[in-house]
Amino acid sequence: MAKKLGKKARKFARKNLQSVAKRNRKQRSQFVRRPRRGGSGRGDERAGDGDEEMPQRAGDNLMNNGGDVASLVNGLEFPEDESELNSDISDSDDYLSEDSECLYYSDNEGDNAVNDCFVQDGLDGENDQMNIEIKKQKKNLNKLMDKDPEFANYLEKWRSESYRSKEDSDDDDMDSVDNGADSSDTNPPNDKILTRKTINEWCQLVAKEPKSPSLRSLLNAYRDACRFGVHSKSPSVQRIQSTEVFYQIITFVLSEADNIFRALLDISDDVNKGKIMNLRSAKKWKTIEPLVKSYLQNSLDLLSQLTDNQILAFVLTRLRASAVLFSAYPSTSRRLLKILIRLWASGDHNLSLSSFLMIREVASLLPECLDLCLNKSFNTYLASSKLVNDGNIKHIDFLTDCLVELYSLDVQKSCESATNSIGQLNAILRQASKTKEKEELRKVDSWQYINSVNLWVRFLCCNYKDYNMHPLLSSVVQILRGVAHLFPGTRYLPLRLRLVQMLNELSSCSQMFFPIPSLLFDCLEFRDTSQKEHGQKTKVNFSSLLKVPKNLLKSRDFHEECILSAIDALSAHFAQWCYHVSFPEVATIPLILLKRLYEQSTIESLRRPIKRLIDQVDENRNIVERKRDGVSFSPNDTTSIESFIHDLQID
Amino acid sequence: MGKNSKKKNKVILPPQLPPEVDDDEVVVSDEDVEFFRGNEGHARALARLDRKSIDSYVTRVAHHDDDEVERLYEERERRRKAAEALRPKSNKDEDLEVDPVDALPVKTLQGELVYNNAKKPRFDEISNGPESKSKDKGADAKQATQRGEQKARSKETKGDGRLPNVQPQIEAPNGKLQSKVLEEVEEELSAEELFEKKKAQLAEIGMSMLEDPESNIRSLNDMLNICNDKDQKVVKLGLTSLLAVFRDIIPSYRIRQLTEKELTVEVSKDVKKMRYYEYTLLRSYKAYLQKLISLEKQPNFYNVAVRCMCTLLDTAPHFNFRESILASVARNLSSPDDAVRSLFVNEGKHRGEATIEAVRLIADHVKLNDCHLHPDSIGVFLSLRFDEDIGKDDSEEEKGRSKKKKQRQNQEVPKQLPVSDKKKAKQELISKAREEVDAELRAVSFTLDAKERRRIQKETLSALFETYFRILKHTLSTSNSRGNAINVSTDGSHPLLAPCLEGLGKFSHLIDLDFMGELIACLKKLSGHTDHHSQILHDNTLSVSERLQCCIVAYKVWRSNLEALNVDLQDFFVQLFNLILEYRPDRDRGEVLADALKTLLWEGKHQDMIRAAAFIKRLATFALSFGSAEALSALITLKHLLQKNSKCRNMLENDSGGGSMSCLVAKYDPEAKDPYLSGALASVLWELSLLQKHYDSSVSSMASNILSMANLNPTQNPVPISIANPLEAYRDLSMERELSKPANKVPPLNCKKKRRSKDFVALSPTVLQGSDFLADGDELKEKLQNHFAVLRGISENERLRAELNHTLSSINLYKEYKKQKKRVKSKAGKKKVARA
Repeated sequence: MAKKLGKKARKFARKNLQSVAKRNRKQRSQFVRRPRRGGSGRGDERAGDGDEEMPQRAGDNLMNNGGDVASLVNGLEFPEDESELNSDISDSDDYLSEDSECLYYSDNEGDNAVNDCFVQDGLDGENDQMNIEIKKQKKNLNKLMDKDPEFANYLEKWRSESYRSKEDSDDDDMDSVDNGADSSDTNPPNDKILTRKTINEWCQLVAKEPKSPSLRSLLNAYRDACRFGVHSKSPSVQRIQSTEVFYQIITFVLSEADNIFRALLDISDDVNKGKIMNLRSAKKWKTIEPLVKSYLQNSLDLLSQLTDNQILAFVLTRLRASAVLFSAYPSTSRRLLKILIRLWASGDHNLSLSSFLMIREVASLLPECLDLCLNKSFNTYLASSKLVNDGNIKHIDFLTDCLVELYSLDVQKSCESATNSIGQLNAILRQASKTKEKEELRKVDSWQYINSVNLWVRFLCCNYKDYNMHPLLSSVVQILRGVAHLFPGTRYLPLRLRLVQMLNELSSCSQMFFPIPSLLFDCLEFRDTSQKEHGQKTKVNFSSLLKVPKNLLKSRDFHEECILSAIDALSAHFAQWCYHVSFPEVATIPLILLKRLYEQSTIESLRRPIKRLIDQVDENRNIVERKRDGVSFSPNDTTSIESFIHDLQID
Repeated sequence: MGKNSKKKNKVILPPQLPPEVDDDEVVVSDEDVEFFRGNEGHARALARLDRKSIDSYVTRVAHHDDDEVERLYEERERRRKAAEALRPKSNKDEDLEVDPVDALPVKTLQGELVYNNAKKPRFDEISNGPESKSKDKGADAKQATQRGEQKARSKETKGDGRLPNVQPQIEAPNGKLQSKVLEEVEEELSAEELFEKKKAQLAEIGMSMLEDPESNIRSLNDMLNICNDKDQKVVKLGLTSLLAVFRDIIPSYRIRQLTEKELTVEVSKDVKKMRYYEYTLLRSYKAYLQKLISLEKQPNFYNVAVRCMCTLLDTAPHFNFRESILASVARNLSSPDDAVRSLFVNEGKHRGEATIEAVRLIADHVKLNDCHLHPDSIGVFLSLRFDEDIGKDDSEEEKGRSKKKKQRQNQEVPKQLPVSDKKKAKQELISKAREEVDAELRAVSFTLDAKERRRIQKETLSALFETYFRILKHTLSTSNSRGNAINVSTDGSHPLLAPCLEGLGKFSHLIDLDFMGELIACLKKLSGHTDHHSQILHDNTLSVSERLQCCIVAYKVWRSNLEALNVDLQDFFVQLFNLILEYRPDRDRGEVLADALKTLLWEGKHQDMIRAAAFIKRLATFALSFGSAEALSALITLKHLLQKNSKCRNMLENDSGGGSMSCLVAKYDPEAKDPYLSGALASVLWELSLLQKHYDSSVSSMASNILSMANLNPTQNPVPISIANPLEAYRDLSMERELSKPANKVPPLNCKKKRRSKDFVALSPTVLQGSDFLADGDELKEKLQNHFAVLRGISENERLRAELNHTLSSINLYKEYKKQKKRVKSKAGKKKVARA
């Protein structure tokens, strides 16, 4: 009866439990994907090819950018290498054999473990009702059996029959899903109930002496804790009865495991992958390896199960310490990366940050994971930057920075993918400008496009000083100018201001001159908006817009925002060249426009900042002019000009 | 009956009748009326469509000379009588001819046979027609009918290959006359089938026409009839297929009306046939054009009609009725077809006559519409070509040839006889003589032609400039009145101004000197010049590009007249000086600015020093604030000015105390309105040092190139780095061009440094501070416990649910069990019975 119940429960779990469902889905998708990769269909050309083909294909894209461009928006993504080495995937729960010395203690209050469940959630009420229902139905059944004893026999027969047939069919589909989870257990796990006392004792033992056999038991307990709820069919899971115990196990293992393993393996804090690989041949590795593996895999299980951001962040922070250990298990680290990237793209900032740090740790420690990690995170970035609104600007900004960090880990390698990606962006732009079709234009006028341009601009900004990246810079500038050219008019001012921002960033990092004002003249034109004075004030936030909705075009808010943003961009431009000997000339034409705007504008909230900018620029111009009048070098004397700038900066 | 007799008249009408307006139209409208009467329901639906065309016909007729019409009717009557005189001899067809009206109902009932008959007599009459003219009625009449029969027979016996050609001839009138029957059958035939049928019919006729136009020329009528269909699709198809046919069969000469004298001369069979062919072609061509012109007014057919007319004008500008095509094409110049342009370009096709007509028509059109037209309607003038020296070899040849051809046609009649004689000597003689005559003729026609051409050209020019001046005046008046803020309700756009200025610039060398002064004054006003410099040009509504264009045109006009004109262009330079600051990259056309720089400064004559210096300084400042294309064209101009004015090179150097040269104004004023008052000579070109850092390599290298001039003597020039003029440079660097260039491959990077990978580059430390996140113990504990509790709740729930299910199924099983038990019992009972 008990066994049968287990079967049923397992089936239920498979059907109803969410996490299992997720697992199933993942596996199913893998099953589906595998044969497709084998086939030579054109459809999956981009999706799942091997890495070595990528540069060549990108080259092809650049060459015949006529026809292929149509599918390029999807092509912006990097192909991911999904194939996984299943060599050491033996994902199964290798139950660590426990020493008999390890004692179990009975807990005093262990019996009333159920009572300490102080959490009241929806399920508890349902469970109670079900208990009552069961009792009722059981009574009915018993009544029937009493009435007709022959039925009892019949029932028994039927049960054993149905059980047998069900087992057959279950085994068929179970095996494919669960890798025969419990049949492969060579040494059956014990199902002694873990009490608080036991755990306490073990923890103390392990803390004192890492080599003690209690470690195994403790790790087994950790395993059960991590799988609690998922693999509920195995009786071992029933070992944990109280929340206290659960908490104890998890916190202790997470916080101490790294130290323990380092002590056991005798490695210092800053080991790299090579050392771990060397260790693999050492003798003690053989004994400790199963423990490490169990710890890492079970931690991953825990990660994929947890839903609370805070706990996740905690686990990640703990796990980061032992990131280097993952290098021994490539497939496990792949799984880890997948989980991490999913968590990274999730909205919570802290969780995002800690998963990014973990990603970076793993990527820098395991160079062979870097490619996968970059491609995956780039694609995730693209997917999550599809829509931008006021809420997620910060998050996307953060993601961009993170990606730049990752790409900066190995600039040499990243430059290749940057070149490819920029080439694709360029091809899309050209196609759009050639055909001028709505469909093509929309590809450029999309957040994905702008965000990926932004990504490469930041990447360039961060690395321009240390590397020779001029060719990349010029093609990015071409894209920026091209986009600005392709979308003229007031509706696209937010887009344009974004481009100007990027140009300003590039200018400040490369110390090159960009004629920013030419892109801002549109914003500085005076527009009469006074006649459209309606009550409700709509906040126009340019950073979450690419093009202005038509109803706002004539509104005063839009006009204000326009001019203020233009003033921002202009002052950034002026700030960069304010010490240059030709600053007065840089400011000449913009100043004329600003003055005209100041005269025409009637909005007080605008007049003040405009006036301030005019005054400051004027003042600075006078300073430079005065200083300039005193010098005797000519415009072609570059070194003197540099020193002039330097002198001014000191003043 | 009256109607029908008219119809008959049409049939009898001999080809010599001048192809004027009348009879065909009358017939068409007659048919319409008949048709309307036949099917009133459809008539109502069609009323709008057809009335228009009828109206147009009526008005056309009204235009005509009354005498002419009268004469026509008289002549027709006379001929009809002559034909009637002939008729008794053609016994066979008599009953048909006598009363064709009676034949009509018979036709509708049993189609083909009767139509064959109807066809034949018609044929006879036509072949008879010329003969009746030739006055020996009696002798040849019978022969003629016999000949007609013979022809018809031979046609029929020619076999299958010929058959399809004959078939459509027979069937086409079916389509027309049988419309009544068709209406009856219509319920059975779906509209689609009808459409398909008509399509097939059109195709068939069209094919036969193209195969052998001479013998099938009559099918044109049938095609025209199809164009009267009430299905718009069919009409469109019909129009286009007729277009294709006409394009193919229109001869390369103009069909001339035969004079009375020629008509009286007896001609051979071939000539007769030819005349008949030409006559029919011309008549249907005219009908077709009328159809097109009437359809053009309907929005549904507008596109098709205009396209057809444009194509016709394009392919056959020499042919008859060019005037009417031109008139309607000129009205629709904004359509995408380039007919008029090709007319101007290929003057050889029509000897320039069409050009003057077209230009005049456009001029009238502009006048009528008060200059509010699509820019394209003036834009075509740009493709006009004017020979400065008319009468040179090339054109002569062409003219001569065309004359010759015409002449040869005239000679065709006498030519026939000697050929038939086939005597070599005679032939040679004749050919010799002809050559002589030709030579003479050519000589004569050549001189005449040059004169003629000159006349045409003169008239064209005057019409052209009339149009241009009209537009200028109009612009001037509207913009001025707007300045006074009075009556004007127009939106202030001058659609024609830009092409007008462009055209003036192009033909500036042809403008009469007398107009020059006025023109320049006009341009000056348009360019926004006011006598009071203090007043900014608020009231000038022309855009910056247009004002720049005014400057360009003025300068071009002045230059192309060898600067003979005593006009001070200073004001235009002042305008340009100010307009440079007004330029906005997206609003104004950068090409115009580059063109202005090129025309006024780059190509211009020597500037005086102060003005040059002012421009140099302004251009340098301009280059700092605008995109690379504008910047480069400015720098090229700047460099050119520096090369021309070596004294200005002092601006490249900073002598003592800032300013390099003393001049009237000691301090440089960057916002000066007048170049002479800007004090630019006192300034230093510091801009160039910053432009050296320009991201665009072409701009930065140009800046360094200019800076290097400082170290050279005044006579030396730096190594030129590009020979492009400002306009070319602008076009080359403009974004469109840049985006259409093939993508340059980014070369693989060679990174020098290898950075320690541990440092963060993008994320700020403040962000990272939050990373070492350790939730405080209690909270964490609570959350973990929560998590556990939830998980346990779930697993508990699962377990309970499973148990419940199990129990329930057990209970359900009881019923099953009962049934089984019953069955067993009944079986046992049966067995018992059986045993018993």
